[in-house]
Amino acid sequence: MDFKTGIIGSGTSVGGDVDLLIAGGGPAALAAALYAARYGIDHVVIESYQPGGQAALTALIENYPGIMEIAGGDLAEKMKEQAEKWGGVFRMETVTSTTSREEDLVEVKTDSAVYNAKYLIIATGAAPAKLGVPGEDKFYGRGVSYCATCDAPFFKNKRVMVVGGGDSAVKESLHLADFASHLTVVHRRNKFRAEPYLGKKLLSCDNCDVMWNTTVKSIEGGDGVEAVVLNTPDGETRVEVDGVFVYVGRRPSTEPFRELVDLNPDGTVKTVNVVHTSRKNVLAAGDVTDNELRQVVTAVADGARAAAAVFDLMQQEGDV
Amino acid sequence: MPLLSESDANEVRKIFGVLVKDVYVKVFTQKLECPTCRDTEAILKELDDLSQKLHVKFYNFQTDREEAEKNGVEMVPAIVVSDGTHSRVKFYGTPSGYEFSSLLTVMVDMGGKDEPLSGETLEFLDGLDEKLKIRVFVTPTCPHCPSAAVLASRMARYSENVESEVIEANEFPELSMKYGVQGVPRTVINDRFYVEGALPESMLVAALREALKDDPPGEKNLMDYIHT
Repeated sequence: MDFKTGIIGSGTSVGGDVDLLIAGGGPAALAAALYAARYGIDHVVIESYQPGGQAALTALIENYPGIMEIAGGDLAEKMKEQAEKWGGVFRMETVTSTTSREEDLVEVKTDSAVYNAKYLIIATGAAPAKLGVPGEDKFYGRGVSYCATCDAPFFKNKRVMVVGGGDSAVKESLHLADFASHLTVVHRRNKFRAEPYLGKKLLSCDNCDVMWNTTVKSIEGGDGVEAVVLNTPDGETRVEVDGVFVYVGRRPSTEPFRELVDLNPDGTVKTVNVVHTSRKNVLAAGDVTDNELRQVVTAVADGARAAAAVFDLMQQEGDV
Repeated sequence: MPLLSESDANEVRKIFGVLVKDVYVKVFTQKLECPTCRDTEAILKELDDLSQKLHVKFYNFQTDREEAEKNGVEMVPAIVVSDGTHSRVKFYGTPSGYEFSSLLTVMVDMGGKDEPLSGETLEFLDGLDEKLKIRVFVTPTCPHCPSAAVLASRMARYSENVESEVIEANEFPELSMKYGVQGVPRTVINDRFYVEGALPESMLVAALREALKDDPPGEKNLMDYIHT
């Protein structure tokens, strides 16, 4: 049995002036906080939820060097503890908008306060992308889920479908296969994009089958999900399931920064030299950026680089 | 062996350091047909030792019927957290995983010196003239659940018209089924309205305002009425 000791912040923060504001609570933000704290930079981390971001939704992480295997939420909690040990400051708020009235100052509004920051690190990560098919919103929470770690127990001995073929889809399928009576993985291509090791493991699972070159047309049901209508190479077919878990990519959480920095057409923050953005005093790290590999190990690397870049800039300005 | 590791216990001791007022906790369990009651008792006993401000009392759900009824406890394991004047804030199920952080936060709210809710929320709660019962279904592995659980508990802590129950969905499968819970967090308001996911404070207030409007009876998904 494990016990998470992170306290939920309140909605009555006062905001104020700060040298560095780190927006986000995933691995990129947590690493940036650790480095910023060790550099002695006056900072605050604004996180919407419990630490970890998407990593916290991952049941098992096996490719973070030095750690054989760990639940994503536990890894995140350790990262936060480590940052706090060095003086990391965390507040639970949600960033709603950012503007830059003066060239060297960013105004960050949250759901409960206003901050003026000399430097900003955008590390807000990404949220699961939707399929965008009829029935998806209607059955959200009633059979449609984006979080296997949270909701798998509701599908014990039930028929489950996973949509997607990347790392998350395959990893979470393996987690769900332990609960479900039968698992169907639906993928639009003819092979997985996931690590070959994960793909192989899934293909050898006894209660799983994979439907290749197949897309979802709609999700049907009454009180809850009853079936999914699919477009397969052999035509339209209806598969009866009790739950659908969607892992078809991510939407970067960049809405509050739209006016502040240049974004790519897919919504990610445009970066130069990994962590620099179109604005000198705004850095970006992790899944929110256009950096290619989206892993915990790359997110923490980005976070460290972003904090180091802020430290450099502050030294140039004589701020530290 | 204690359930809390030495480092977790130290962390909790540090967290409880902010308590300035006494926090009263009533734990209801029973010996039979409650596989999770023992762990719940054990973890609350350990918590009790970590702060002088925390006062945990244990009751037998079967033999202390009067106390259970007085506190509105309907199933076990149950944890009632208060400042000693009410029993509006309840947790059902073992407080492990992320549910543990929800419980800790509510204890800190109860005994801390700051009001954790925003001005807009307080204004809404001050104007309430009807009863609201907010049930939040959670699982211990859900990182978004504490936000929803804590928000409902904070409202119940503040307002005499609000009652909150945080329910570990796996431990109460029949209740979960009754309320159609297949994903967490799911917030059920007055038995009939519901919202999915962890909403920011202002959005939950908007959903509650919607729930209080006159409408024909029937289940209603408030997500259709608030802007996400």
